[in-house]
Amino acid sequence: MWNGTLFFRILDGILVVCIAAMLVMVFGNVVLRAVFNSGIDVSEELPRFLFVWMTFIGAVIGFREGAHFGVDALVRLLPRAGKKVCWAINQVIMLVCCAVIVQGTLLQHDLNATNHAPVTGLSMIWVFGVTYLTGGVIGLMCIVNLVRLALGKVGDDELIQVEEEGMGEVDPNRLKGPGPLASPNTLKETAP
Amino acid sequence: QTAERTMRLSAAVAQDHPFAAGVSALTACAAEKSGGKMKIQSFWNAALGSDMQAVQLVRGGSLDMVVASTSPLASLVPAMGVFDLPFLFENETEADRILDGAVGQQLSEKLQGVGLVNLAYWENGFRNLTNSRRPIQKWEDLGGTKIRVMQNPVFMDTFSTLGANAVPMAFSELFTALETRAVDGQENPYANIETGKFYEAQKYLSVTNHAYTPAVILYSKKIWDGLSSAERDVLQSCAAVARTEERRVNREQSEKSLARLKDLGMQVNELSAEERKRMLQKVAPVYEKHAATIGAETMTLLQSELGQLRKANP
Amino acid sequence: MTIVIFVGSLLGAMALGLPIAFALIVSGLALMAFMGMLDPQIVVQSMWDGANSFPLLAVPFFMLAGEFMNAGGMSRRIIAMAMAWVGHLRGGLGFVAVFAAILMASLSGSAVADTAALASILLPMMRQAGYDIHRSGGLIAAGGIIAPVIPPSIGMILYGVAGQVSITKLFLAGIVPGIMMGVALLITWWWLARREILTTPPKVPLRERLRLTADAFWAMLLPVVIIGGLKTGVFTPTEAAVVAAVYAMFVGLVIYRELRIADLYGLMLSAAKTTAVVMFLVAAAGISAWLITASNIPAQLADLLAPVMDNRLLLMLALMVIVLIVGTALDFAPTILLMVPVLMPIIKQAGIDPVYFGVLFIMNNAIGLITPPVGTVLNVVCGVGRMSMSNLMKGVGPFLLAQTAVLFLLVLFPELVMAPLAWFTAR
Ligand code: NA
Ligand code: NA
Repeated sequence: MWNGTLFFRILDGILVVCIAAMLVMVFGNVVLRAVFNSGIDVSEELPRFLFVWMTFIGAVIGFREGAHFGVDALVRLLPRAGKKVCWAINQVIMLVCCAVIVQGTLLQHDLNATNHAPVTGLSMIWVFGVTYLTGGVIGLMCIVNLVRLALGKVGDDELIQVEEEGMGEVDPNRLKGPGPLASPNTLKETAP
Repeated sequence: QTAERTMRLSAAVAQDHPFAAGVSALTACAAEKSGGKMKIQSFWNAALGSDMQAVQLVRGGSLDMVVASTSPLASLVPAMGVFDLPFLFENETEADRILDGAVGQQLSEKLQGVGLVNLAYWENGFRNLTNSRRPIQKWEDLGGTKIRVMQNPVFMDTFSTLGANAVPMAFSELFTALETRAVDGQENPYANIETGKFYEAQKYLSVTNHAYTPAVILYSKKIWDGLSSAERDVLQSCAAVARTEERRVNREQSEKSLARLKDLGMQVNELSAEERKRMLQKVAPVYEKHAATIGAETMTLLQSELGQLRKANP
Repeated sequence: MTIVIFVGSLLGAMALGLPIAFALIVSGLALMAFMGMLDPQIVVQSMWDGANSFPLLAVPFFMLAGEFMNAGGMSRRIIAMAMAWVGHLRGGLGFVAVFAAILMASLSGSAVADTAALASILLPMMRQAGYDIHRSGGLIAAGGIIAPVIPPSIGMILYGVAGQVSITKLFLAGIVPGIMMGVALLITWWWLARREILTTPPKVPLRERLRLTADAFWAMLLPVVIIGGLKTGVFTPTEAAVVAAVYAMFVGLVIYRELRIADLYGLMLSAAKTTAVVMFLVAAAGISAWLITASNIPAQLADLLAPVMDNRLLLMLALMVIVLIVGTALDFAPTILLMVPVLMPIIKQAGIDPVYFGVLFIMNNAIGLITPPVGTVLNVVCGVGRMSMSNLMKGVGPFLLAQTAVLFLLVLFPELVMAPLAWFTAR
C-alpha cells in the first residue's frame, strides 16, 4: 500500500481538529442558550461544514486502513488467483468511482464557488471541494495498488480489503482498568 | 419544432402543497400546447434533494426544473433576500404587482446570470405567527419568547430585533420542540400550521402577515439554451397560466386552513394597523443591516415601485 | 426492471468484496446508465447532501461519548453495580449481563461498542464460573443489540434523517420496547439456567452494594440527563449527544480520573474515524436514494405489495419479514440507508405511523446484527471470547428467538409502542 505516513498523520490531525471544533461550538451554543438565553449564529453552519470535511477526509483514512464495511464471505471462498482477480477488478471499479467523484466536483466547481453560505458567507467550494481530495487520493491509492499487484508486491492478507464486520471498531485493550469489581474478595467465586 | 421530451421537476414540499396545483396546471398546459410531446415528471418531498441541492443540479443541467422558495436562493443571488424583509408587502395585490412587474423582472435577470431561467413567480404566501404563551398584539408581547425560525439571517435578525429569542431548527424537529415547549412558537403560512398539526401544541395564532415568501419556478439555462423557441414559448406561457392557478389555490387553501385552525380551537387575533406600523418601525435596523447585501439597485427600485403603488391605491 | 438493475448491480458489486459505499456508487451509476442520464454531478451532489446535515452531528458526538465512557471507567462501574445486586442469583452473571446491557444501552448508541465492553469484562468471569460459554456469549450478543433500540441510538438518528422523522420521538418511543427485549432475555436465560448447577459469587453485603451503586452514580446520571432533556425538550437530539460527550469526558477526567488529557487525541481520532466510515456510507447511499426515487422504485414495490396494502397488520408482517431477511446478509447502517427511501413512501401510503415503524425497523435491524451469515455483533463476541462462529450461533439461538418474538409481539400490539410514547410526550 502507498506509504505516505506523514500525509496520513496530517489527515488524522485534521480529523481531530474537526471533531474537537464541532464539540466546542455545539456545546458552547447549548451553554449559551441555557445560561444566557442566546446563541451564536455560526454554530449551526460551521460544525456542519466541518462534519462534511470529517466525513470525506475520514473516508480516505478508512480506505487506507481497510475500515469500510463490506461483505467478504464470497471472496474468501475463492482460490488465491481468484482473489487476486477480484481484488484487481475492485481497484479498477473504485478508480472509476473516484474519477466520477472528481469529475462531478469539477463540473459543480463554479456553481459552488458562486454559492455562499447564508450565515458565514463562506463560498461553498471550500466545503464541498473536499471531494477532490477524497476522489483524488483514493483513486491514486487504487492506481498504486494495481501497479503493486502487477509487480507481485501485494500480500495475501491485503486481498480482503473490507472491514471484517465489526472487529476493527473495537479494541478490547481499550477497555482498560482492573476487573469490574472494586474489592478483591467479591471477585473470588465460590461454589454455592 | 417540438421534440418528444420528458422534463424532471423537483419540489421540496409534499404533494398536497399548492405548488402541486401549479405543477398540474403547467403539466396539462404544456402537454396540450405541444400536442403531448412535452411531458413533466414531478418529484415531491425533496426526494430529489433539498431546494438548494435541486437548484445546483438545475444550474448544472442535471435536472430540468425546480420549484423553490426564494429565501434559499439568496445564497446565489443576494438580491433575492429582499423578500425576507419583514412587513414588506401589505397585501397580496401588492406582492403580485411587484413580482410580476419591474422588480420581478430585474431579479429574473440576475437569476439568468447564475444559470437559472425563472419562468414565473408563484407563492408560499404570507407567514403568520403561532405560540403557546400569549396572543401577540404588539411587538412587546414577543419579549422573552423562543421562536423557531428558518436558518436565515434576515428572519433571525427580525425576531431578535422584536425581542424574541430566534432559534434556528430543522422543520422535522419543530413539532416535537413545540410539543415539549423547547420553543414557544414558530412562524409559517397557515397551510403549514395546519398540515404540521402545530395547533395541537400551540394555542395562539396571531395574524401578523410579517413576511410574504414568493416561490420561483426555475428552468435550467443549460437545457433552456438548447430548446426551440416554440418550446420556450410553451413553457413560458404555461408557467404564467400555472401561476394564476397556483396563487388562486394557495389563497383559497389559506382561507380554509385559517377557518379550520379556528375550528380546531386556536385563538386567533389580528394585528391592528397601528401595531403593524409600530412593528415595522421597530425592525428598521433589519432593513438597514441587510440593504447593502441585497443591493441598492433592487432596494431603490422596490421602494419606488411600492411608493407608486401605494400612492395609486392609498 | 429498474429494481432488478439496482439490486443486481448492488449485490454483484458487494459479492466482489467491494466496500458497500463503493457498491452503492456502482449501483447508482448502473441505474443512471439504464435511465440514460449518466451524470457525475448527481453523484457528488447527493454525496454532499447526505453528509451536510446538522441532525447527523449527533452521530460523532454519541460515538465520542461511547469512547469516553469505555475509556473513562463508566462501563466497568455499571457492570460492577449490576454484579453487586444480582450476581449472587442462580445463573447470576447472566442477569448481570442483561441488566448491564440495558443500562449501557441507555448510555451508548452503538451495539458493537456495548457488546465489546460487556463481552470483554463478563465473558472471562462467566467462563471461570463454569457457565456454558457459548450460551453466555449468545446472551451477551443478544444483550448488546438492545443498544440501538434504547436511546441514544445511531440507527434511529440515521432513520430519522433519512425518513424525515422526529429523532426525539423515535428516542422516546424506543425506551419501553428496548426494556421488553431485556425482559425477554432475562426470562429466556432464567429458563435455560434453572436446572444447572453453577458457581456463583457470594451475596454482596448491603453496604458494599450501596457503595458500588454510589460509585456508578455518575454514570447512571447520564441517561437521566439525556432522556430527561429530550422529554422536557431542553435538548434536541444533537444537543443531547454533545452534552453526553462532554459529560462523559468530564466524569472520566475529573471524577473517576481514569482518563488523561493525553488520551483525548486518540479517543477523538477513533470516534472521528468510526463516524467517517458510517458517514461515507450515508453519503454514498444518498446517490442510490436519489436514483431509487427518480426511477420510481417505491411505486414498483408498492405494486408488488398491493395485495397487503390495505391490511396494516399483514403489511407490517410482510415488511418485517423482508427486513429480517435483508438483515441476515446486510449490516445495520447499510440496511437502514438502503431501505428507508424505498419503504418510507409505502409506510406513509398505508397510513402506518413512521415513529412506530421506525422503532420496529430499528429493532429488526438490531436483530440482524446477531443473525448469520453477516452478524457484526456475533463477530465481536467471537473475537473477544475466542470462540467459533458455529458454536456461538448455537448459543445465541434461543435469545435470537426471544428477541424476534418481542418484535412480532409489537407488530401484533402497536399499543405497546404507542401508549408509552404518548406518556413520554405528554406534558
Ligand atoms: Na442506546
Ligand atoms: Na445478520
